[in-house]
Amino acid sequence: MKKLVSIALAAMLLLSTFSGCSAETTTAQKTDPAPATKTETETKTTPDAATTPTAPETPSAQPVEISWWAFPTFGVNSGYEQEVIDAFAKVHPEITIKLTTLDFQAGPEALTSAIEAGTAPDVLFDAPGRIIEYGRNGKLIKLDDMFTADFTKDVNNEGVISACKADGTAYMYPLSIAPFYMGINKEAFEKADALQYVNLEGDRAWTTENFTKACEALAKAAATQVPGIVYCGGQGGDQGTRALVNNLNSSSIVNADGKWAIDEKGIKSLELLQKMVTDKSLDANTAYAAADELQAFQNGVAAMSFCWGTSNSITYKSDSFTQISVPFPSEDGTPSLEFLANGFCVFDNKDDAKAAAAKTFIQFICDDGIYGPQSVVKTGAFPVRESFGNLYPDDAEKGLLSSWTKYYGPYYNTSANFTAMRTEWWNMLQRVFQGGNVAAEVEIFNAQANQSVTPAK
Amino acid sequence: MANSKAVVRAGISSQIKSNFISYLFMLPILVFFLGFVILPMVMGVFTSFTNSNMGGSEFVGFSNYIQLFQDKNFLKSSVNTIIIVIVSVPTVAFFSLWVGSAIYKLKPAICSFFRCVFYLPVVTGSVAVVVVWKWMFDVYNGLFNHGLNAIGVQSVNWLGDSKTALLCIILILFTTSIGQPIVLYVSALGNVDQSLVEAAEVDGATKLQTFWRIKYPAIMPTTLYVMVITTINSFQCFALIQLLTSGGPNYATSTVMYLLYETAFKRYQYGYADAMGVVLAIVIAIFSAIQFKVMNGGTAE
Repeated sequence: MKKLVSIALAAMLLLSTFSGCSAETTTAQKTDPAPATKTETETKTTPDAATTPTAPETPSAQPVEISWWAFPTFGVNSGYEQEVIDAFAKVHPEITIKLTTLDFQAGPEALTSAIEAGTAPDVLFDAPGRIIEYGRNGKLIKLDDMFTADFTKDVNNEGVISACKADGTAYMYPLSIAPFYMGINKEAFEKADALQYVNLEGDRAWTTENFTKACEALAKAAATQVPGIVYCGGQGGDQGTRALVNNLNSSSIVNADGKWAIDEKGIKSLELLQKMVTDKSLDANTAYAAADELQAFQNGVAAMSFCWGTSNSITYKSDSFTQISVPFPSEDGTPSLEFLANGFCVFDNKDDAKAAAAKTFIQFICDDGIYGPQSVVKTGAFPVRESFGNLYPDDAEKGLLSSWTKYYGPYYNTSANFTAMRTEWWNMLQRVFQGGNVAAEVEIFNAQANQSVTPAK
Repeated sequence: MANSKAVVRAGISSQIKSNFISYLFMLPILVFFLGFVILPMVMGVFTSFTNSNMGGSEFVGFSNYIQLFQDKNFLKSSVNTIIIVIVSVPTVAFFSLWVGSAIYKLKPAICSFFRCVFYLPVVTGSVAVVVVWKWMFDVYNGLFNHGLNAIGVQSVNWLGDSKTALLCIILILFTTSIGQPIVLYVSALGNVDQSLVEAAEVDGATKLQTFWRIKYPAIMPTTLYVMVITTINSFQCFALIQLLTSGGPNYATSTVMYLLYETAFKRYQYGYADAMGVVLAIVIAIFSAIQFKVMNGGTAE
C-alpha cells in the first residue's frame, strides 16, 4: 500500500513537471527581459446572421486549422482580430483560425524561438523588416501568385511593391502603409517665436535652414528643457534618426551597388547635428531609445519628436499642448520619407492545405469589399490599394498624411544586412555624439554595416 | 564462498529495493534537469561548432571560437563582465556580512524588519526595479540630477556616458544582490556556537579577533555559497542591461550575456552565440573552482 501511494505521488510529481508546457502565458524569470505577452484564442466557425460577408461561399472542402500570430497593429486589445476571424468563418467555415497576439517587446524573440523550434505560425501579421528576413532564410511561402497584374496596378507604387519582396520574390502581402514624420509642440514653438520657421500651409514641407533657425530659437527661449532629442539608444525607431540625417542635406545611406554607405552629404548632416548639439540648439542622448524620446515629447521635455507616426500620435498624445505633424526638413524643401508597411506572410510549415488556407485568409482580410478597408482603418494607416479611395474623408490630418505618399523614399528594412546595419547605426550615432570625428565614424559604419556578425565559414 | 556471495547479492538487492522509492521521487526533477538543463547544454555545445543561423547550419569546427577572440565587441563585453564580477562579488559579500553582523543580534522584530528592507529589491520584479532606477538616472528629470543641480553641479547623463553607465549597472546589481546574502549571513551567524565565542571573550579576545578566529571560519560555507552565487549572477547579468542601456553607449555596458542575446535574437547567428555561451560557462566554472579552492571548499578550520 505504501509503495502504491509512493508511486502515485511520484507520478503526480512527474506530470506536474510537464504541466508548464501547456501554459498559455509566459512569465518572466528574474534575469529575463520583459515577458512576451501571448494570448491564445481558438475560434470555431459559427455563422452569425448580423454581418454580411461579401466574398462568395466556397464549395465545401476538407477542414483545416491554421494559426495566426499578430502584432497589435490593429490596436492593443481592440478585438478586431477576432471580429475579422468571425467574419471569415461565415465565408469559409472549413477553415479554423487560431489567434495568438504578440507584443512588440518580446514578440520578436518569441517568433525566433518558435521558428527554430519548428512551431512557427501559419500566418504572421507584421512588417517587412522581419518578414523579408524570414523569407530570405527560406522560412516563408512565396506569395508571387497573389501579386497579380490587377493588384500591382491598383497599388501603383513601386516602393511598396518592392518592400514586400526579397531578391524579386514576394513574401509579404501588404495591407496598409503610413509615413514616418516629425511631431512638434505648437505652443512651445509659439513661445519661442519659432513657429514662423515652420510651414503650416499645404503639405507643410520645410527646409533645413528653417529647421536650424527654429531649434536655435527654441534653445534661446528655453520653451522646453531641450529643443529636440536625437535618440541614440539601440532599440527601434531608427527610421526617425535615419530620416533626419538623410533629409537635412538630401543624402543617402545606400550607394549605387546597394551597399550601406553614408555619403558625403550624410557626413555633412551628421556634422550639422553634432554642431547643433554642441551649441545646445539640439540635444543628443546616447541612453535614450525612441520610446524615451517620444515620452519626453509627450511630457513637454522636448519640443519636437523625430519618431512621430500614425500610431505614435495616438499612443503619445498629449492633452497639454497641440501636436502638429510635419515632414522632415530637407535641403530643398522636398522630403524623402521612410514609411511603414503592414502586411501578412505565410510560414512554410510543409503543409499545402494550410498554406492555401492561409493565403485565402490573408486575401480576405486585405481585399474583401468590407473588411479590406475596415482592416486598413483599424491600422490607422492608409490603403496600399488606390481603389479603396480616401478612407478618412472627414479627417484633415489623415488627408495631409495621405498626401505625403508622393514623398515616400526607399524602403530600407528589406535590404540585405538591415539588422546588422541598424545595430551599427546606433553605435555610429553614439560615437558621433560622444565627440567622435564624423568622417572617421562614418567610415567605420560603412565598413561594418555590410558585414553580418561573423558567421564562421 | 557461495554463501557469502548470496549474502552480498541479497544485501544489494535489499538496498536497491529500499532506495527504489527514493529514486522514484527523484525521477521528476531528474527528468526536468536532463530535459531542460543538460540536453540544451549539450545541444548548445554541438551548435557552437556550426555556423547555425536562420537559413541553415554547417559544421565549421573551432572557427566560431577563433573568431570570438578576434571580435572586439566580444572582448569589450568580456572586459565589462569581468569588471562587474570583480567589483560586485567582494562588495556584495563584504557589505552583506557587515550588515548581517550588525543586525543578527538585534531584537527579532527589528532584525526581521531590516531583513525585509534589504530583501525587498530581490522580490520586486526586475522590470519594476529597472523602471524606477531609469527614472532616477534620467538626465532631464531624474532624482540624482535634481540633487546635483540643487548644489550647483551640472547634470550627468548617467546611462548615456560610457564613464558612468557601467557603474550605474553595478550599483543596481548591488542593490538587488545583497538581500539574499544578508538573510543567509544572519542565519549563519545565529548558528555559531556561542560557547566558543564566550570562551574566547573570557580569554580576552577582542571583538575583531573573535569574529575573525571563531565566527568567520564557522560561516565559511555560507561565504563560499554567497561568493559563488554572486559570481554566477554577476556573470549572467542581462535584464538590467537589456532594459536600461541595451549594451550601450557603444558597448560600454555590454556583457557576454547581452552580446549573446543580441547575436542570437537580433542577428540570428545561433552558432556564434552558442560559442559565446560555452566560453562563458567555462569561465564561470573556472572562477567557481578557484573560489572553492581558495576557500577550502567551505570547510571551517
